[in-house]
Amino acid sequence: MALATKIIEEFKPEFKSVDIAEVPYEKQGYHLAIEARTGNLLNIIDFLDRRDFYIIDLFCVDYQEYLELVYFFSTHRELCRIKVTLKLDPEKPVAPTISNVYTIARWYEREIHEFFGVYFEGHPNLTYLFLHEEIGHYPLRKKHVAVPDHDKKLLNSFKPHEEENSFFINLGPQHPSTHGVLRVVLKMDGEYLVSAEPVLGYLHRMHEKMAENRSYMQFLPNPARMDYPGALLFNLAYVEAVEKLCGIEVPERAKYIRTITCELNRIASHLLWLGAFPADLGALTPFMYAFDDRENILDILEDVTGSRLTYCYFRFGGLYNDINEETFIDATKRFIERMRERLVMYDKLITGNVIFINRIKNIGILEQGQAKKYGFSGPVIRSTGMPFDMRKVDPYAAYGSIDFEIPTGHIGDNMDRYLVRMKEIEVSLNIIEEGIKRLPSGPFKTEKVPKKLKPPKGDIYNAVESTRGETGVYIVSDESDTPYRMRWRVPSYSNLMTFPHLARGVLIADAIATLGSYDIVVPEIDR
Amino acid sequence: MCDTIINIVNIVGKEVVRTVVGLIGVFIVVLGNAIMLTWTERKVAGHIQRRIGPKEVGPFGLLQSFADSVKLLGKELLTPANVEKPLYYLAPTLIFVPVLVTFVVIPFDGFLQVKDINTGILVILAFSSLTVLSILIGGWGSDNKYSLIGAVRSVAQNIAYEIPLLLSLLPIIFMANSFSLRDIAEAQRGVWFVVYQPIAFLIFFVASVAETNRTPFDLPEAESELVAGFHTEYSGMRFSLFFLAEYTNMFIVSAIAVTFFLGGYQGPVLPGVVWFFIKTYALVFVLLWFRWTFPRVRFDQLLNFSWKILIPVSFLNLLVTGGILKI
Repeated sequence: MALATKIIEEFKPEFKSVDIAEVPYEKQGYHLAIEARTGNLLNIIDFLDRRDFYIIDLFCVDYQEYLELVYFFSTHRELCRIKVTLKLDPEKPVAPTISNVYTIARWYEREIHEFFGVYFEGHPNLTYLFLHEEIGHYPLRKKHVAVPDHDKKLLNSFKPHEEENSFFINLGPQHPSTHGVLRVVLKMDGEYLVSAEPVLGYLHRMHEKMAENRSYMQFLPNPARMDYPGALLFNLAYVEAVEKLCGIEVPERAKYIRTITCELNRIASHLLWLGAFPADLGALTPFMYAFDDRENILDILEDVTGSRLTYCYFRFGGLYNDINEETFIDATKRFIERMRERLVMYDKLITGNVIFINRIKNIGILEQGQAKKYGFSGPVIRSTGMPFDMRKVDPYAAYGSIDFEIPTGHIGDNMDRYLVRMKEIEVSLNIIEEGIKRLPSGPFKTEKVPKKLKPPKGDIYNAVESTRGETGVYIVSDESDTPYRMRWRVPSYSNLMTFPHLARGVLIADAIATLGSYDIVVPEIDR
Repeated sequence: MCDTIINIVNIVGKEVVRTVVGLIGVFIVVLGNAIMLTWTERKVAGHIQRRIGPKEVGPFGLLQSFADSVKLLGKELLTPANVEKPLYYLAPTLIFVPVLVTFVVIPFDGFLQVKDINTGILVILAFSSLTVLSILIGGWGSDNKYSLIGAVRSVAQNIAYEIPLLLSLLPIIFMANSFSLRDIAEAQRGVWFVVYQPIAFLIFFVASVAETNRTPFDLPEAESELVAGFHTEYSGMRFSLFFLAEYTNMFIVSAIAVTFFLGGYQGPVLPGVVWFFIKTYALVFVLLWFRWTFPRVRFDQLLNFSWKILIPVSFLNLLVTGGILKI
C-alpha cells in the first residue's frame, strides 16, 4: 500500500492531465487505475518500467462504444497492481506497441489483434497467435466484425525459408517431449539451434468466450480444463474472484480445506512433472515412481471431490462437500509420512546422478532481470533467487495464517528449477500438516449464496499461485448472470515466452531439457 | 538311417555340413535370443519400475514376445511417399548381415563353434562396423530430418567408440598371443583376463554400450529428442528387424566380453555352453539395468568422453601391458 501512495506522488507531477485513482483493493484486486491516452501511453509505460514494474497481463475488453486495452502491472518486490487502460475507437482501433519495452507483450498484442482486430503500430510480427487465419471475424468482439479483405493474414504457420547451412524442424505438435500439442519451429545448424519459435493454438478452445455465454455457476468446471494437472488451483482462482466480486464470505473451515486440497493438488502436479522431466532427459524409470506417489493423492482427492483429474470442488461461498474427518485426515497423514521417505529416495535416485547433473547444471540460465520483460513466475522466477510467490505476496484462502518458507534457487538454470520444485513438494507437505493441525470445525459453506449469481457492476482481478506460477482471472460484470468479459492470465504463457531466448545457439538436447524444466501445460497456454 | 547321414556327409564334406548345421543353429540362437530378450527387458523394466511387466500371455507372460511377433508380421508394411526406396528397403535387411557373421566365430563351448577362424576378432570388428552403415542408409533413405540426425549421430558415435573398443581388446590379444577366439578362451583356463585387465574390461564394456546404442548412449534413437531417431519412418516387420538386430548386438558384445575377459565357456561342474550363456546373460542384464536407471548423455559429452578419456586411457593401458609383457 505504501508503494501505491508513493507511485501516486511521483506520478502526478509527471503526468498532470492523466487521471490516477486509488481503488479499493479488497473489492477489485488492484490498487491503482490509470486512464492513459494514445499520446501518453508510452510515457506511462516508461514511467512504470523505470520503477521495475513487470507486466502481469495485457488484454482488451469490448464495451461496444469503445474498446478498452487493459495493461496490468505490479512489482516483484511489493504488491502494487496498477491497471492502465487505453480507450480505442471500435471502428479503427490502433494502439502503439509496447513490445519493445516488455517482450511478452509481443504475444499479448498478437492475441488482441486476432480476437479484437486491434492494430499495434510498430509490432515486429503482427500475425495470428492462436486462431486459424481463415476465421474471418474477430471472435471476442460483441458485434460481428468481419476481417477486412486486405488484411487476410499470411499463414502464421511457418513458411520455411531455407538457407545454406541450416534447416527447419517442426518439434511437435506430435512429439514425445512437447507435453501435449505444442509446436516449436526450430531452425537448426546441425545439432545446434539457430532459433526456436513456438506456434500456439493447437489446443485453443476459447474458454474466455465460453465464459461470456454461461452463467457464473455453469463456468465452474471450465478452469479445471485449462490446467489439468493443477485443476483445483484454477478452480480456486475463479471461485475466489467471483466471491470477491459478489462479496460472499467464506467460512474459515472451507478456507483451510481449500488450502489443504490445493497443496495436495500442487504436489500431484509437481510429481507429474517429476516424472516427465527425467523422461525428457532419457531416464524413464522416475516416471513410474512419481506416478506411484501421485496415485495416492488422486485417491485422497477422489474421496473428497469425486473426480481424479479435472476437479470442480470449490463452490461460491465454500465447498461442494465437507471432508470426511477420519478417512481424509488419516489418508493425508499417511501420505505425508510416505512422501517424506520417498523424497529422500528421489534424492538418491535422481539428484545425485552424475549424468543428470551434467545434463542440467548451468543449462538454460534465466537472469532475474529478465523477469520484468517476460513476466515469468512460479518456480521459474523463484529459481532465479527471487522469492516471489502469490501465496505470500497476496495471501488467499488460509495461506495468510500458515507460516511457510519459499524455496529459491541461485542462478536460475535447469538444476535450480528442478531443486526448487523438489523443495516445494516438501514445503507443501508442511503446509498440509499445519493446515490439518489448525483445521477449525464449523460450516463448510455459506448458506446465503443465491442460486443465480448477479454480481454488481464492476471488475475484479484475482490471482493465485498455481503450480506453474501466477494465475489470475479478471472478470468484468454488467449485473447480468453471465460475465461480460473474463480474462485468464496463465503462467505457462509467459514462462514459455522465454524459451526462444534460451534456445538460441544451444544443442537440441539442452533445449528439450529446458523446455521440460519449465513444466509447461499447453491447454493452459492455449486456453 | 545313420549310414545315410554318414554317406551324405562323406559326399559333401565335413566342413560344409558343419557350416550348414552351424548356421541353422545360429539362426535359432539369434531368434531365440531376441524373443527371450524382449521378454526379459520388459520383465526387468517392469520390476525396476515397480510394475509387473507382461503376465497375461502364457506362464509369466513368456509367450508375449511370440504374440508381439505375430502382430508385427501381420502389420502392413507402410512405405512413406518420399523415401529413397532402394535404401529404405535395404537398411533393415543389411543390418542382419554383420549380426549373423559375427556369430560364426563365437565359441559357445570348446568345440561348439561354427568355424574357428584364426583372425576371429578381426572378423567381428570388421563386420560390426557394418551395422552403422545400415543405420546410415536407413536414416538417409527415410527422408526425415529426425532420421537423418539420428543416422549422423550414429556414425559419429560409432567412429568415436570403435577405437577404444579395439584398443581395449589389443592387450588381451598380446596376452593370449592369438586372434582366434577359441585360443583366447582357452588361455583363461587358470585366471580370467579381467583380473589382469580390469581397466580394459571397463573400457570395453562402456564402449560396447555405445556400440549397441543403449542408454545412456542411445543418442541415435533418443526418443525425447528425435522421436525415434533413425527408425522413425519404419513400421511393422521392418521396424522389428532393427529391434531384433539391437538385441542380437547386445548378445554379441556381451559374448565377446565373456570370451575375452570372463573366461569364455570355462567354469566348474556345469558344461561349458551353460557357463557361457550364464555369463553372457549376466552381462546383458547389466545392459538392461543401465537402460532403466540412467538418463541419456548429451551428444558433445558422449564424444568428449570417448576422445578425451576412453581413448587416452586405453592407449596407456595398452602401453603398460606391452611393456610388462616385453620385460
